[in-house]
Amino acid sequence: MTLIKCKQITKHYYRGSEQITPLKGLDLEIQRGSFVALMGPSGSGKTTLLNLLAGIDTVSEGELIIDNEQIHNFSKNKLASWRADHIGYIFQLYNLVPVLTAYENVEIPLLLHSINRNERHERVSDALENVGIADRYNHYPRQLSGGQEQRVAIARAIVSNPTILLADEPTGDLDRETGTAIMDLLKSLQEKQGQTIVMVTHDPQTTKWADTVLHLEKGQLIEQEVRS
Amino acid sequence: MKLLKVVPTVLKHIKRAPIRSSLTLGGIAVAMFLFVMVESMRIGVKEATEMTANETTLVVYRENRYCPFSSKLPQYYEQRIDDIDGVSSVVPIQIHVSNCGASLDVVTFRGIPRDSIEHAIAKDGTIVGGTLDDWKHRGDGAIVGKGLAARRGIKVGDRFSAAGIDVFVAAIQETDEAQDKNVALVQLPFLQESARKGGTGTIVTQFNVEVDDASYLDSVASRIDETFAHDEHPTATFPEKAFVGRAARDIVQLSEVAGILAWGALAAVFALVANAVILAVRDRVKDHAVFQTLGFTGWLIGWMVMIEGAAIALIGGLLGGAAAYTTVKLGHFTMTMEGVNIELSTKPSAAIIGIAISLGLGIFAAVVPAIRLARTDIASCFRAV
Repeated sequence: MTLIKCKQITKHYYRGSEQITPLKGLDLEIQRGSFVALMGPSGSGKTTLLNLLAGIDTVSEGELIIDNEQIHNFSKNKLASWRADHIGYIFQLYNLVPVLTAYENVEIPLLLHSINRNERHERVSDALENVGIADRYNHYPRQLSGGQEQRVAIARAIVSNPTILLADEPTGDLDRETGTAIMDLLKSLQEKQGQTIVMVTHDPQTTKWADTVLHLEKGQLIEQEVRS
Repeated sequence: MKLLKVVPTVLKHIKRAPIRSSLTLGGIAVAMFLFVMVESMRIGVKEATEMTANETTLVVYRENRYCPFSSKLPQYYEQRIDDIDGVSSVVPIQIHVSNCGASLDVVTFRGIPRDSIEHAIAKDGTIVGGTLDDWKHRGDGAIVGKGLAARRGIKVGDRFSAAGIDVFVAAIQETDEAQDKNVALVQLPFLQESARKGGTGTIVTQFNVEVDDASYLDSVASRIDETFAHDEHPTATFPEKAFVGRAARDIVQLSEVAGILAWGALAAVFALVANAVILAVRDRVKDHAVFQTLGFTGWLIGWMVMIEGAAIALIGGLLGGAAAYTTVKLGHFTMTMEGVNIELSTKPSAAIIGIAISLGLGIFAAVVPAIRLARTDIASCFRAV
């Protein structure tokens, strides 16, 4: 069942007077519950595509339909509200808020939802438990290792039970062993919770957890590799 | 609801940057302390000198004299004043002060005829310790205003001395009137004898005249001055508050100049909050981009910045306002000049106004950074880090 449909997506932006076009007429479909790895050289449009899927950026031309909603028509505010409901985003450099504890970082997305404090507490605790970091709930980011920070970031991304989990090189700043553990965690989220995951990566090793690998080049899809 | 749910997060940001927050809050608190102290002084001056519609008291003073040591009027004027139409009572008063210039700790003695003491007690005055009879039965008895009693640590049964006058504290008077809460009322003959300066027995400093109706103030004042215009001791008669304003003109001018300090304090609060908010926004560019990625709208993040500015200003304002209010309340500061008393207002209004202004300035200082941040898109926030 198709969750994400990109129809002839083009994205332009300007750097000074120069027009940059990272995506040119991209057509793409991603199935619900799949684990997709986006690969390609620098400048191929991977991160631009991820930002469009996240509703952080908007398409210049074409249609972007996610879960039957035409998000290319959404206003800035509606996109923000849609993001809160549908998207979980994992950054390469974790991007935890330094003055908040692990628990409080995970709680942030839930502040946008109409749920009471008890339910918030339950969901944050569950998310921290799911990523195996429940014992560190009261620690600040500076008191955590890189792998632990990324686990907290994943907990933050999944706590509101989003439709799609987007990950921008989630193991890019981690050693091999920790990176493997993080990829195992993402895979288990896909398998146990049926989460749809779209991950940008430069590392071919990490694609082994994905069931679909998309190769982008010069803003276009040049190869789609389905592994299962 | 979202607007309220993010407030604890904003407060955590303030609390968990303790050095920056303490420095900013300290600066705001000091500025607001200064502002509230100056405002308390200004309100005190205004209350002491601004006429109200129901004023019925006139003060008859020696013409062209400004100090109680130089104002000398014959006590027999009392009867001639009392005969003027519209006058309901006259109290001859001898005033003796420990210092004629401007000072924060002056003891003012008022000599009152024994039978006129009921007229000399403040309109809102109550005797909270001792009795009027105790005062009447002791020649050296004093009814001490509560402000003076608190300042000097005096209680009923004590003796105290000032300006060469030694008195027994027969009663304590509680009143909101600055002119009454900071004086010691003693019997007129006792003060005339004890002071022995500028004559005794038949000389007083001033007459306090009550008129039948507030509308008679001006006409009765003119009649009194006309009556004595060709006497050896011509008079100058003023409504009581105008008299206070005239006698304490230097303090009035000082309070006007102090108003500039108050404006400076407000400018300091604005600058401190604006600086704190701008630094916070710059420091947290990445955090704000993360918040937006998680679904926060630009306006919600702008709201968080506004809350931060408001919270810093409110907390600083509360600290400074409360400290100033406590200082004024416990300090019983009274500025006395030429025998009249102007008290720093102990009403909470100065502190409340200060805190409200601080809050308003905090919000105002945060508006521009908040709007700018609300309009910034996520991608440019990430590029900025």
